[in-house]
Amino acid sequence: MATDYYDALGVSRTASTDEIQREYRKLARRYHPDVNKDPGAEERFKEISEAYQVLSDPEQRRKYDRFGPDFRRVPDDYEERVGAGGPGGGRVRYARGGPSGVSGFGEGFEGIDIEDLFGGLFRGRGGGRVQGADQEAELSLPVEEAYRGGRRHLTLGGREFDVDIPPGVTDGQRIRLAGQGGRGSSGAPPGDLYLVVRVRTHPRYRLDGRDITVDLPVAPWEAALGATVPVTTPGGEVKVRVPPGTSSGRRLRLRGEGMPNPNGRPGDLYAEVRVMVPKRLGRRERELFEELAAVSDFDPRRV
Amino acid sequence: MAEYLLTRPVRESLDSVAVRSGLHPDLVRRLATLGLLDCRTDPDGRLWFAPSTVHELARVQRLRSGLGLNYAAIGLVLDLLDRIDVLEAQVRSRRQWT
Repeated sequence: MATDYYDALGVSRTASTDEIQREYRKLARRYHPDVNKDPGAEERFKEISEAYQVLSDPEQRRKYDRFGPDFRRVPDDYEERVGAGGPGGGRVRYARGGPSGVSGFGEGFEGIDIEDLFGGLFRGRGGGRVQGADQEAELSLPVEEAYRGGRRHLTLGGREFDVDIPPGVTDGQRIRLAGQGGRGSSGAPPGDLYLVVRVRTHPRYRLDGRDITVDLPVAPWEAALGATVPVTTPGGEVKVRVPPGTSSGRRLRLRGEGMPNPNGRPGDLYAEVRVMVPKRLGRRERELFEELAAVSDFDPRRV
Repeated sequence: MAEYLLTRPVRESLDSVAVRSGLHPDLVRRLATLGLLDCRTDPDGRLWFAPSTVHELARVQRLRSGLGLNYAAIGLVLDLLDRIDVLEAQVRSRRQWT
């Protein structure tokens, strides 16, 4: 593992054993693969555990400080062979490292109880064969891609995936990648990776399950006289018939033009009419609107 | 890539769970007594486990070896994780509008 052990735990090189244990405990709780489903959490957890294993043992820590990442290749009796680097210094440190290394720092917080008798069974017959944890990651998709589906390239927790997204995935839907979760130990099967789909908000398309609502701007005369106008959907352009006498807010349903559904009926598309007027009128336009105002007895504020 | 189960077991015996999880049957029995596993005792006194038990046992082992939790604490953690799963699923289903 390339990361520096002190960096992995976020402590300084002069940190006390208490400090090291404190940071390790905090990080271990946060990144344990059963608590944190992020695909990167497992790797981080291993990094933290390895760092703690070394730094919590005074003997190993001392070697790591001195020799860096290669410290494990340094023989145990290095100091004696070299012949005491500093006067007496090596000896004193040995006296500390030897006996206390046996009782170890790792035990202090667990206590001895009946579980330790069973603890041996985990290792004994099971040989540490433990299935990997399930992982979960968000997959954020624009509406168009959720509609179309297709292959997508992803990088999650340092691994790359090609995922086939079925057409018509909806927000919150989970895509299961069997066997792509946390690694099992000693040949045990891995867990699964779940991608939770998040459909991104879109300036035009509003989703409700598989139904899509889109604004349909129309001219006053189109609304009054009726018209057939084009509307852009995630699947392409379709024509919608605006019946005569249509006011703003009317929802025109286009059956089956919503999100596709691999297991059944597709959603519907609702075109919500918004009557728009020109911001500035030409001379002739103004005349016609004025004439209309004089002739018409329509009052939208009276039912 | 996907795994399809042609037959889905309804319940599993203590021995089967022990073999599949690689644990000693005594340990499986003890974890059941501690309320960490979904199981029933039949009229003959035999233990029967839910099909997901092997999965659950792996989780128990990972929590124990990874965080040094004792079995009482693991029971609490499992309950809380299950509750979080339910809550997260609710949040997901409520967030239909995008």
